Amino acid sequence: MTQPAIKPKHPIAAHPWTSAVITILVVADIWFALYVPLYARATPKVGDFPFFYFYLMIYMPVTGIVMWIVYLLQKRLRPTGDHQGPAAVSEVTS
Amino acid sequence: MSHVNYVVFTIVLILFLVVTLTGFTAARWRRAEDRLHLNEWGLGGRGFGTFIGWFLIGGDLYTAYTFVAVPSAVFLAGAVAGFFAVSYTIIVFPIALIFMPRLWSISRVHNYVTPADFVRGRYGSRGLSLATALTGILALMPYIALQLVGIQAVLTVMGVGTTSNNTFVKDLPLIIAFLVLAIFTAVSGLRAPTLIAFIKDTLIYVMIIVAIFYIPTRLGGWGNIFAAGKTHMTAISPTTHKPNGVFIPTAGNSQLAFATLALGSACALFCYPHAITATLATKRRDVIKRNMSLLPIYSIMLGFIALLGYMALADKTTAANVKGPGKGNAQLAVPYLFQHMFPSWFTGIAFAAIVIGALVPAAIMSIAAANLFTRNIFKEFFKPDASPRLQTRMSQWVSLVIKLGALLFAVELPKTFSINFQLLGGIWILQTFPALVFGLFTRWFHRWALLAGWAGGMIFGTIAAYKTSTPTTSHWASSTDFEFGHTVYIGVSAIILNIAISVVLTLIFKAVHVPAGADETLPHQYTADPEETPAPVPAGVSSL
Repeated sequence: MTQPAIKPKHPIAAHPWTSAVITILVVADIWFALYVPLYARATPKVGDFPFFYFYLMIYMPVTGIVMWIVYLLQKRLRPTGDHQGPAAVSEVTS
Repeated sequence: MSHVNYVVFTIVLILFLVVTLTGFTAARWRRAEDRLHLNEWGLGGRGFGTFIGWFLIGGDLYTAYTFVAVPSAVFLAGAVAGFFAVSYTIIVFPIALIFMPRLWSISRVHNYVTPADFVRGRYGSRGLSLATALTGILALMPYIALQLVGIQAVLTVMGVGTTSNNTFVKDLPLIIAFLVLAIFTAVSGLRAPTLIAFIKDTLIYVMIIVAIFYIPTRLGGWGNIFAAGKTHMTAISPTTHKPNGVFIPTAGNSQLAFATLALGSACALFCYPHAITATLATKRRDVIKRNMSLLPIYSIMLGFIALLGYMALADKTTAANVKGPGKGNAQLAVPYLFQHMFPSWFTGIAFAAIVIGALVPAAIMSIAAANLFTRNIFKEFFKPDASPRLQTRMSQWVSLVIKLGALLFAVELPKTFSINFQLLGGIWILQTFPALVFGLFTRWFHRWALLAGWAGGMIFGTIAAYKTSTPTTSHWASSTDFEFGHTVYIGVSAIILNIAISVVLTLIFKAVHVPAGADETLPHQYTADPEETPAPVPAGVSSL
């Protein structure tokens, strides 16, 4: 396969805001689960659940929603048209 | 057979027969023209959409061992050793979203079947590819064995199995169940576990929904359940003179252990060949992305499954059964809990869910390991001109051999051996992360540097895991150890060492111009989304 003669604009350069939001969402989604001091507390209790357990349980549907938003945003990065050849460029840094 | 509840036994048996039938008919499902191509047997035709993909990947990642081991760890030691699994299954999806679509694309374009195929193509290195394949097989064996340990736990509580001292006679039901599994996997390939995943997931969801609404009403509500958990975790153990476990990780050390266990396990999960097999079986790139958003539904379930451990503590009969004289096996916590809480007919359904839950991942794991052997060892080193047909035949037989090996593992060796080995497997598979995941983004790393880093991580991880001890166990006691005064997951410290070696050696090799090897991939292929399945004839790896 040959490289296209004119390189299309990189999608991250073409959509800087969308790319930034995607990055922030993915990093935040990981960070708020990993940073244990944030939620390793017994109170406030939610129902009968200590906060620590409630936080992790509620986090999962939140992750699902965040991942869906990321998926929708990534669609916007895609060049329009359905060419799949060499001209179809990357969504993430290559 | 003594004390067998025949209602439970009959229901489990009927559901097992349904699954067996499904497994054999799966060969005809979505049948392809050339059934004897590895893309068909080993990847189900690479044509599964979002819906089937969700059942397949979910049924693959959440193993029976999860349903048995995670609550048993919570039962024994609470948050850090057990409930970290919830945090782990949260972050696994954003992490996988970063690299799995790229792995899918490149594998689709180049017709890669295994992670080692990709490593071979990217770095042009047979050594690195072999290391990846061997690590995969080595890590999968005990994982399959642990599926059997999960089945064994259910069978023990059911009272099935004779009291004979002969291990073969004692484990006859397990052996029969496993032979059936082995045969339908060899016949139907990935299609069998995919179809069975529908049954598995339905049963598991029914089981867990009933459990979380019904059991708390029997135990005086969630407040009581958490109170029982807290009481047990803060109580001082007579043998170790330390608290039994951690209810909420408020101390800095337990927080770091919790976070590194979650992060390390999450990075390891999608390096496991069986996870990659299920992902590569999907039809389009978007299928994976959508599933990273839909799969957390399983994690919600996992959260409640983990809490079954506290329920088992809150139910005095179950706690006494598990800790009873001559038993002392926390793996039995969930089966005993169900048996005591549910009416017989529903216990049957719940037990069947766990047994079938073990069969699906066990089948996919053996397929993944067989593909690794065929593609990256047999074809690469012994028979480079192996036809697609021969590769498939080979994989079918190897999948049988691997399952028999796992069976021997589970039946002949003490359970702790499989569990320790599985713990090691997680540390080992994490050492393939740099070559695989970094390789998806950059070719900066040198192939030999990565190989050296892998070796360093493997050796360090194995020794560190061997050296962990508690007052009751002398070796292989834990998956965390002390590094520079902090409690850290061994997998994480090993991979840091691995990356450090890779970086330093890459700089050195580049400075002295050691050949970097050929790269058969092109940048745009990492985001390609071809609609057509790769052509069956030129089987990727051989093309160079």
